[in-house]
Amino acid sequence: MTEPRQRQSTEFNEAEAIERAKQGDAEAFQALYDRHKRRVYSLCLRMTANTAEAEDLAQEAFLQLFRKIGTFRGESAFSTWLHRLSVNVVLMHLRKKSLPVVSLEETTQGGNEEDTPKKDFGADDVALAGSIDRLQLQRAVDSLPPGYRTIFVLHDVEGYEHNEIAGIVGCSIGNSKSQLHKARMKLRDLLRMNRAGKAGIPKQ
Amino acid sequence: MSTRTVKLVVVGAIVAGTLVAESHKEWHFNVGPKAGVSVNNPYGSISVKPSNNNTVIINAVLHSDKVEVDNRQNGNRVDVQSHLLPGADATSGRVDYEVFVPADASVTLHSTTGPLRAEKLHGDVSLEGSAATVDVRDVADAHVHVKTLTGPVTLSNIHDGHVEVDSLSGMVTMTAVTGQLVQVISTSGNIVYIGDFGSGGEYRLTTHSGDIDATVPESTSADVSARSVRGEVHDDVPLQPRSRTWNSFKQGSAFVGTMGKAASSVVLRTFSGKIHLKKRAEK
Amino acid sequence: MTCVELQQSLAEIEDGSSAEQQHHLRSCSSCTALVEELALIISSAPELIEADDPSPRVWNSIEIALRQEGLIRSQRAKRPVISSFGARWGWARWMVPAAAVLLIMAGTYVNRRSSSRQMVNNIAPLSTPDVAAAGLNDDELLEAVSDQTPVAQAQYQDNLRRVNEYIQDAKMSVEANPGDEEARRSLLEAYQEKAMLFDMAMDRSLP
Repeated sequence: MTEPRQRQSTEFNEAEAIERAKQGDAEAFQALYDRHKRRVYSLCLRMTANTAEAEDLAQEAFLQLFRKIGTFRGESAFSTWLHRLSVNVVLMHLRKKSLPVVSLEETTQGGNEEDTPKKDFGADDVALAGSIDRLQLQRAVDSLPPGYRTIFVLHDVEGYEHNEIAGIVGCSIGNSKSQLHKARMKLRDLLRMNRAGKAGIPKQ
Repeated sequence: MSTRTVKLVVVGAIVAGTLVAESHKEWHFNVGPKAGVSVNNPYGSISVKPSNNNTVIINAVLHSDKVEVDNRQNGNRVDVQSHLLPGADATSGRVDYEVFVPADASVTLHSTTGPLRAEKLHGDVSLEGSAATVDVRDVADAHVHVKTLTGPVTLSNIHDGHVEVDSLSGMVTMTAVTGQLVQVISTSGNIVYIGDFGSGGEYRLTTHSGDIDATVPESTSADVSARSVRGEVHDDVPLQPRSRTWNSFKQGSAFVGTMGKAASSVVLRTFSGKIHLKKRAEK
Repeated sequence: MTCVELQQSLAEIEDGSSAEQQHHLRSCSSCTALVEELALIISSAPELIEADDPSPRVWNSIEIALRQEGLIRSQRAKRPVISSFGARWGWARWMVPAAAVLLIMAGTYVNRRSSSRQMVNNIAPLSTPDVAAAGLNDDELLEAVSDQTPVAQAQYQDNLRRVNEYIQDAKMSVEANPGDEEARRSLLEAYQEKAMLFDMAMDRSLP
């Protein structure tokens, strides 16, 4: 099968699956689920760093979507609809848990010692070079404070722009940018420490 | 110094050396509801039991100084990792864990050698170990996932959740295990089920060359389908006939039928092993 | 511009491309390394987009709810041809080529002989993958465990032989009964077993 025909067949199948799901076809629901489950679940897992929570949230996102599938008219891509819904489900969950979705600090000069810019960028640490192992990056993201994790996942992983994040999360664009920068700096530290550990450099 | 005295001194030194090298450590973490706890331990046992409050307690016995325990808490999640130092092997790198978690915590355990054990929990339990013996008991309203190459796996008194076991060559024994989904896949391991296939669930026990032995009470309510391509099947339980839905199948031995109101679906499959459905005497 | 100011400015201009940033970076190797490392993190992040698979319980719960709410109105759905059980355990993380190839081969094999499951087949149809080209074969597994004890190596060899027999028998069943969904499911379970074996072997070889 040549690739262009395959792509066309895929688009046709999703539209057909949606129509059949509207009619109550179980296999159609499952096909839609299977097509999008990794994206949705990975988003939930990255944002919560907890597999049980992520599964519950993924389940909730799909259920909300499927309950509304009768109203889907195809104005936008199905995946976009599902994705935005998933983000909302996760953020509501974080808010319910009273976890900071995004910190309200505007600038990088916060009172938290961790957040103050470092004068010495750890010249003795092991530098990141070449490529980053995906599992190490996953673990580092999981280790981020929840507020940093949300912003990093939405922007760098999922590709939302700052103005979109500001609208979704309810913060300012400046806040989104500063939190993202802090998240990346924290990730850098975590990844460097991980490499130092593997290289047998004693922790300080 | 006489030879006998030298031997005693040497033995004493060895014993002392062993005692000095082994160390006990303990950590406590405060967590909230539905915490996540993971323990990754290449060599050694991990046992998980419920704690009395919202605290995760990690007790570790390190068998030499060639292994360290890294642990961290990130919000409601506690991760514990045995960190092997250069020169560590299966003996010197061994750590034995006894872990206490809130009963609603999700637990993930990983050990090559095991054994792995979890009991009296109602959060999700995930256990993995290539050569690990696995024992899970008294778990309710949660998901139990087990993965092992040589097992064996023993599950007892597990209800109202999902159970999924993948044991390549290890035996899988289930006693009083029911739920919405109970699935066992094995390549060469035998599967033993003692229970009533209750909860109106879906039960699927599959092994390629192992045998399947199911012992059920007469009060069981299930739709049973058993098939072996090359082996024999035996049915000691009176089944009501149902319409055959897979007439296309021509190979092997099989029996199908229902017990009671056929609330549960039970599928027993082996390629070259035997299947035996037995009746348990009612109490 | 000092190093501290450079770092603060990265929140607004993350690639260090402004004139002021460039002026500082030309003479500061630490800050240059920082900018490069942040760029590496940014470029690696999208790899996490579809990194994980949920366990089968998620779909099971969804299906139950949809039935209870009357949104599924057809007869009881058959179980998915592929269980995503194994994916929960890291197939995607560690063995994307291996597990994907094995499952794709199963799907392709099944697909050729299945006349009515194109839409709901969980595997994207692809041309038959070349297992050798994917760098995955039995020799690789044995090599991955070659640093283990002789007993452990023998166990892996034995398990490999068993799963290969499983796959062969399952393939024969599918060929003999092309319309038998149970036979197809058995083949996919056989591949799942082999993928688990690879998963375990590779996991052991990692630091």
